[in-house]
Amino acid sequence: MHEREKNRVQAYLDGKLSRRELLRDMSALGASAALTSTLIGLGSTRAFAAGFDAMQHKGTALKLLLNKHPYTDALLANLEAFKAMSGMEVTYDIFPEDVYFDKVTAALSSRSSEYDVFMTGAYMTWTYGPAGWITDLNEWIQDPDKTHPDYNWEDMLPGLRASTAWNGIPGGALGSADAKQWCIPWGYELNNVSYNGPMFEKAGVSPPGNMEELLETCAKLATDLEGVYPIGVRGSRSWATIHPGFLSGYSNFGERDLQVNEDGTLSAAMNTDGSKAFHRDWVKMIQDYGPKNWSTYTWYQVGTDLGAGASAMIFDADILGYFMNGGGNKEAGKISFAPFAANPAAEAPTPNVWVWSLSMSSFSQHQDAAWHFLQWATGVEHGLFGAQTMDFVNPVRQAVWDDDTFRARIDESYPGYLHQHDVSAPGAQIYFTAQPLFFDLTTEWAATLQKMVANEVPVDEGLDMLAESVNSQLADAGLR
Amino acid sequence: MQHQSTFERVLRGVLIALVLVFFMFPIVWILLMSFQTNEQILRIPPSLLFEPTLENYRALITGRLETHAGTLDIRFMQNLWNSLILSVFSVALALVLGVPAAYAFARFRFRLGEDIAFTLLSFRFAPPLLVLLPLTLYFQDLGLSDTYVGLVWVYQLICLPLILWIVRGYFEDMSPDIEHAYRTAGHGWLTTFRRISIPLTAPGIAAAGLLAFIFAWNNFIFALVLASADKQPVTVGALAFVTASGIQYGQIAAAIVLSITPTLALALYAQRYLVEGLSLGAVKG
Amino acid sequence: MRDAFRRKALPYLLSLPALLVCVGILIPFGTAVYYSLQRYRLNLPHLRKMNWGENYLKFLTDSEFWNTLQVSLAYTGLTVGLELLLGLGIALLLQRSTRFNNFVSILLLLPLMTAPALAALMWKLMTNPNFGILSYGAALIGFENMKWASDPSTALLTVLLVDIWVYTPFMMILLLAGLRSLPRQPFEAAALDGVPRTFVFFRITLPMLSPYIITASLFRLLDSIQQFDIIYAMTQGGPGDTLMVFQVEAYLQFFQATNIGKSAALLMVLWVITFILSNLFVKQWLRLREQAQGAG
Repeated sequence: MHEREKNRVQAYLDGKLSRRELLRDMSALGASAALTSTLIGLGSTRAFAAGFDAMQHKGTALKLLLNKHPYTDALLANLEAFKAMSGMEVTYDIFPEDVYFDKVTAALSSRSSEYDVFMTGAYMTWTYGPAGWITDLNEWIQDPDKTHPDYNWEDMLPGLRASTAWNGIPGGALGSADAKQWCIPWGYELNNVSYNGPMFEKAGVSPPGNMEELLETCAKLATDLEGVYPIGVRGSRSWATIHPGFLSGYSNFGERDLQVNEDGTLSAAMNTDGSKAFHRDWVKMIQDYGPKNWSTYTWYQVGTDLGAGASAMIFDADILGYFMNGGGNKEAGKISFAPFAANPAAEAPTPNVWVWSLSMSSFSQHQDAAWHFLQWATGVEHGLFGAQTMDFVNPVRQAVWDDDTFRARIDESYPGYLHQHDVSAPGAQIYFTAQPLFFDLTTEWAATLQKMVANEVPVDEGLDMLAESVNSQLADAGLR
Repeated sequence: MQHQSTFERVLRGVLIALVLVFFMFPIVWILLMSFQTNEQILRIPPSLLFEPTLENYRALITGRLETHAGTLDIRFMQNLWNSLILSVFSVALALVLGVPAAYAFARFRFRLGEDIAFTLLSFRFAPPLLVLLPLTLYFQDLGLSDTYVGLVWVYQLICLPLILWIVRGYFEDMSPDIEHAYRTAGHGWLTTFRRISIPLTAPGIAAAGLLAFIFAWNNFIFALVLASADKQPVTVGALAFVTASGIQYGQIAAAIVLSITPTLALALYAQRYLVEGLSLGAVKG
Repeated sequence: MRDAFRRKALPYLLSLPALLVCVGILIPFGTAVYYSLQRYRLNLPHLRKMNWGENYLKFLTDSEFWNTLQVSLAYTGLTVGLELLLGLGIALLLQRSTRFNNFVSILLLLPLMTAPALAALMWKLMTNPNFGILSYGAALIGFENMKWASDPSTALLTVLLVDIWVYTPFMMILLLAGLRSLPRQPFEAAALDGVPRTFVFFRITLPMLSPYIITASLFRLLDSIQQFDIIYAMTQGGPGDTLMVFQVEAYLQFFQATNIGKSAALLMVLWVITFILSNLFVKQWLRLREQAQGAG
């Protein structure tokens, strides 16, 4: 059955055929897109199985807790291949993003053994790890009996490997020698500028390279474009407002959230002169050129506005721009991408990253089998499958970034995307200090920004108050 | 009844129209959105002119959503079904437990009676968050986590106090004389309760039941925390259209319309009781 | 003898099943009280210990706590008050039982049937400055810079609007039921005597309706002081701390900061406030019942 189709797929996997040619040939053979995906998955999973007892956990049943996300879609499209290869049973629960992390907290804090593997972000592991809900995956990565010789852990982008590893000591450097690997990077996003090409052309501007240029560009866009506001950034009262563009720009000036003192204690660092100057620019940018309803803006509104042509650019996740360049969006096909280093003196951008990762529950009854699954899900083959045929972007592996099929696909439809990524990737990592009060601190930071933008408090005063409050909370938690 | 002047009638009409505009406008807007694609909804400025599409409903009902990235499975009908199961059984249980208790509080003065009544009401005070986390732990031990039974039990926090207090009011409004007369004719207490008390307060019970149904239907935190994905109600299910690649407003609108439909049907069916019958004037004479 | 016993036992037999079913819920409640007396953060497990009333004591000097208290009470007072007035007004408009009025009253229940969390999403879209029909409408009548929920000066107003839209129907339907169940004689007598209508309304209608008003307000109060869905979906408690009510703060402390001790203590304070307010309402309700029965 499907022999001819299989041959075409094998040719594609061997690099003899481009993705376009494959799809053309397949549809000529009458194969549906779904079948094509499945065959690619099966083919690539065959490669994973060679020279390793793929069936060692045959019959074991795993349950995953997943967020509704394109990465999840890519996983599900390929899951049959894993089941066939491993003989394992895999079921899953998918929850909407809005409530996903509440579900994770509820499930883990009740010490439920229902889920073996779940999706998480690195920030969340700063809670889950110390709480004892997730396991240090180094134990498995370092064990040659349990890890496939071709798993190639070193192939993961180093910034991401480090960003997902923490020694559990408040203020401890991410990726230090004694760090525990709390989760495995799966797909990630870094923050740069995504902009509407035709709008920029109309206003006669080019993508800004730093904060000063950004404000100038915004001013030009504001006068030249009717009914469009220049720049979209998030503003809701949440950690999610601080971590994308804002922290990326902030870090580019060498500013930090917290300072780690000699004796290991922490203190607030957001009321330095440099920080105040950056905050002033940022607040002005929102007041003069940002969305009117800024303080209710989350990922969704920032993206929607770019996709529907209400904003000319965003300084947010690169994949947010990527998503808005497709689908049913009005401006699909018009979005371009550019690297952004806020500090004119900086050599390169320093984007803070969000890493969707996979963690293993401490309460799982089948940890070895769960690791078997994790290897496959974070392996090169599945990464290639997702990046070539679905929206499993950005890949976390160098091997996928080096893949010509993937590069050609991105380059064709997403102008500037590869460039912004390649320029920024070396500096892409988490710039927050890992510590247990992460959410308290960032939420309060966002609330303070909201007060500044609403002119309820001057920038300098607001930051001093924030620093004072953060310091007292740190002291309260025995961290200062 | 008093006679109304023309001015009064016009004023009344104008006021009702204003009320309808305020309360119905968002509903109508949601209904319109449910027939639009996301691209049509996200137009600047918003516009009333659009070519209606049934795609949102088709996607929800068939459970297959075609996107540029491929076909996604959605389980909205399963969510709808869960909502129905949870709400119906929760209200049914609350009625079975609540109506006799309401009768007891209305008809008898007994030691601790008011205290018990207030305690039952006070379950409504407990912020759900407060009990939920400990509850997850106990549910694991009892084997109730991720079961409909466990959820229906927790839903009593919402349904029972509402039914109890509203129905109690109706029992108190009902004159005890009729019951006395029936009992004097040689009927037992249970028969009297079944044949006289319940039928006479049926409208009140129906109204309380409907309100409890609505509140149960709209809840989402209980199932979210206590159950897995296959037991989630529509309130959680509809959030699935808030996706990383955009909010699917058309589908959320369609989901709202579909999720209102059963409750609306129930309300229209119960209309006779709900509005007409709610007046117990007939009973009181 | 047996009969007398049965008569005595009957009310207990009738009410105990309901109580028993709910008492199961009391056990986790007790656990939550215990948590509230601890220094307990899930991500700082080694610091967990009993600290007795410290979580509560800290509230006394915590300006954020007082802000939360103030916002919660203001929100509750405004929503319950406005919804009562509006609900009563609509109930009076629809008082006569005609087919049209009955149909309208069912239509008006539609907002209540829309889950608040989803309704808030839709209102957020309708008030979006680019695509929102309400923003568009506001601009047409001269409010071009209306920022709705995102400006501290209009945030409360916007959220109130949504709350009123969702919950006024609840007030309306209960009060309508009450109005229609009032006995006719006093009104007919008043009409015969030519008593002015305002006098009838304040001296006859309102007093007779008050048990219904209290029941309806009580349930709105219980929900309103625990408001979460609408505020969280619209502003997450912002901008700044403008709309930071108890449940939103407790939710953030619980799910994000995983500060179980503080979250439980916040919710306990909320529970006590609710308890006191409800007690006042119920006392009043019982007093009115007594009066009504005494008069009847």
